[in-house]
Amino acid sequence: MDLAIKDISRHVGKFIATILGVGLLLTIVFIMNGIYRGIIADGIWLIENTDTDLWVVERGRGGPFNEQSRVRMDMYKSVQATPGVMQAGPFIVYAVQREIAGRSQQFSIVGYDIAIGLGKPGRIIEGRQITAFHYEMVADKKLGLQLGDTVRLGVHDYRVVGITKGAVDSGGNPLIYLALPDAQEVLYQMDNQAIYASRAASLQRLLNAGLSQADAERMLPLVSAPVDTISAVLVRLRPGEDAQLVKDHIAKWLYLSVFSSDDEKNLMLEGRVKRISIVLGTFRVLLLVVSIVIVALIVYVLTIEKIKSIATLKLIGASNWVIVRLILEQTLMLTISSFLFGYTMAALLKASERFPRTLYFLTFDTITIFLIMLVGGILASGLAVWHALKAPPALALGG
Amino acid sequence: MPILQVEGLRKVFGEGALAVTALEAIDFTVKKGELMALLGPSGSGKSTLLLCLSLILEPTAGRIIINNKEIYNNGWTNVDARRFRRENIGFIFQGHNLIPFLTTLDNVALVMTLNGVREGDARKKGMEILEYLEIAHRADFYPSFLSGGEQQRVAIARAIANEPALIFADEPTASLDTERGFKVMGLLKRIAKEKGSGVITVTHDHRMIDGFDTVYELMDGRFVK
Ligand SMILES: Nc1ncnc2c1ncn2[C@@H]1O[C@H](COP(=O)(O)OP(=O)(O)O)[C@@H](O)[C@H]1O
Ligand SMILES: [Mg+2]
Repeated sequence: MDLAIKDISRHVGKFIATILGVGLLLTIVFIMNGIYRGIIADGIWLIENTDTDLWVVERGRGGPFNEQSRVRMDMYKSVQATPGVMQAGPFIVYAVQREIAGRSQQFSIVGYDIAIGLGKPGRIIEGRQITAFHYEMVADKKLGLQLGDTVRLGVHDYRVVGITKGAVDSGGNPLIYLALPDAQEVLYQMDNQAIYASRAASLQRLLNAGLSQADAERMLPLVSAPVDTISAVLVRLRPGEDAQLVKDHIAKWLYLSVFSSDDEKNLMLEGRVKRISIVLGTFRVLLLVVSIVIVALIVYVLTIEKIKSIATLKLIGASNWVIVRLILEQTLMLTISSFLFGYTMAALLKASERFPRTLYFLTFDTITIFLIMLVGGILASGLAVWHALKAPPALALGG
Repeated sequence: MPILQVEGLRKVFGEGALAVTALEAIDFTVKKGELMALLGPSGSGKSTLLLCLSLILEPTAGRIIINNKEIYNNGWTNVDARRFRRENIGFIFQGHNLIPFLTTLDNVALVMTLNGVREGDARKKGMEILEYLEIAHRADFYPSFLSGGEQQRVAIARAIANEPALIFADEPTASLDTERGFKVMGLLKRIAKEKGSGVITVTHDHRMIDGFDTVYELMDGRFVK
C-alpha cells in the first residue's frame, strides 16, 4: 500500500502548485544554463569552424574577435613567405546592422580570399561555395534568406549562392560570407553622397591648415583612408611544422601578434564569456537552492500536517522505514515531477525557436541538475524525516 | 494458559514534588479468550495501564509477560516495540485514531500489510472483517465522512485484523449511545470467544460489564477488587 500516493491524492492542489512553481524555477535554470552553454558555443563557433592553424593579427591586439585588429592587406604575402607556412590568406570579420529580408538585422560579415580558400564557410547545407570574384554571398539560414535571393549591401546587390546552418559570430549573430574585396567594399566604401561629404570635410581640413585650394585638392587622395586592410591573416602550416617556431618568427620579423586556434578560444573564454558565465552560474546556483528549499519546505509542511497520522502509524506498529519511505517518496515525486515539468517547458521553448539567444542543452548538464535536485531534495527533507521519527507515538493520543 | 501476566507494575509520571503515581502494585493475568473489564473513575490510571501493556508508555517498575515473552522487567527487554505491537496487540484507542488519508478498507488493510500480508489478500480479508462488523458499505469512505459509531467499528476492525493475542479497548463505548455501546461490547465478547484473543476493555460504565469473565476496578492507580 503506497501511503505517499494516498496522502498526496488528498492534497493534489498543493502538490500540483508546488510542481508548477518549482518546475518553472527549474525551467529558468535550464534556460540560463542553455544560454551559458550557448554563449560558449557561439563564442568559439567561428574559431572552431575556420580552417586555420594560426591567426595573425595586429601587433599587441587580442583580435580579431575580442578587439579590432587591422593588418595591411599585403602582409599576408609576407606571412606566406615565412618558413614553415604552407599557405596564408587574408581574413576580415566585422559586425554590421543592416536591413535584410525585410527587417533590420545584426550579423557579421566574413571576407576571405576565394582563390586561397582559407576562412571559407565549413559546411554548406544548400547551394555552393562562392566561386565568382564578386557579388556572391553565402548566408546563414537564421537571416531568413533563400538561395537566389539578392541582398543590397552598401552600393551593390549580392546573390545568395549558399546557405549555412548555425554559422554565428561570437555574439550569436548569423554570418554572411563574402569574397574579400566585396567584404572590404561593404565595410569601407560608402555611397556617393557619403563619399562626397567625406571628401568635402577632408578638403576643409586641408584648407584650414592653410593650404591653397589647388594644393588642398592635390593632397586630397593622400589623406583619404586606406581601404586595403584586413582583420587577420590565416595560416596553414606545413605538416609536422613546429607552430611555436612559426609564431615566434612572424611575431619577430613581421611585427604582428600570432595566436593558435586554441589561444583564440582561450582568449574568448577568459574574456567575454567568463564574466557572463559567472553571472549566469550564480543565478543558476541560487535558483537551484531556492528550488530545493521550496521542496524541503513543502515536504516539511506536508509532514507536520500529518504528524498525528505518523504517530498513529507508530501506534499500530509501523516501522521507521514505513514512515521514512512515506516522506522520501513524496520528496522524490515532487523533485522528479518538477524536474520533468521544468525540463519539458525549457525543451518546448528551445524547440519553438522563439528564444532570441542560442540555447544549448548538454546531457551532462541536464543529468547534473537532476542529481543536484534529487540529492538536494533528499537531504533537505531530512528535517521532516527527523521530525517524524522523533514524534512519540503517544502524540496521536493527545487531543 | 495465561496470555498476559503482570506483576508489581508501577508507573510514576514526573519526578520529585511533581511526581504522580498513576499505577501502583498492579498484578493480574489474562488467559486466551478471556474477557476482562477494567473499571474506574476518570484519572484512576486505566489508559496508563493499557499504554504500558502496549509498549507505548514505559512503566517505572514491575514485570510484563505477553505470549510467554518477557517484554518488561524493570526496564524494556530487548524487543522491537513496534514489531511486537503490530504482531501481538490490537488497540482500540479512545479517539479511534484512524489515518485520515486512508479509506476505511485501507485503514484495516494497512495493519495487515505492515505484517507482511500481500495487499490483495489484506484487502480481501479486510473486506471480510468489515462485513463481520457490518460496516462494509463504508469501505471506500474516508474517516471524516463516517459517524462516531462507524469510526469506532472501523477502529475495532483494524484492531482485530491481525488476529492479535491481545486486544485492548480504551473506553470503546464512551462516544456511543447506550444501545450502540451494548452492541460494541457484544462485539468484543464475540471476538474474544470466536477469535480466542484476550480482551481488556476499559469502561467506567458498570452497566456494560455483563458477561465479562473478570472485572478489575482501579482507584488512584491501585486495584480495589
Ligand atoms: N503524560 C502524563 N503525564 C503526567 N501525568 C499523567 C500523564 N498521563 C496520565 N497522567 C496522570 O496519570 C493518572 C492516570 O491517568 P489516566 O491513565 O489517563 O486515567 P484514566 O484513563 O483512568 O482516566 C492521572 O492522574 C493523570 O493526570
Ligand atoms: Mg483514559
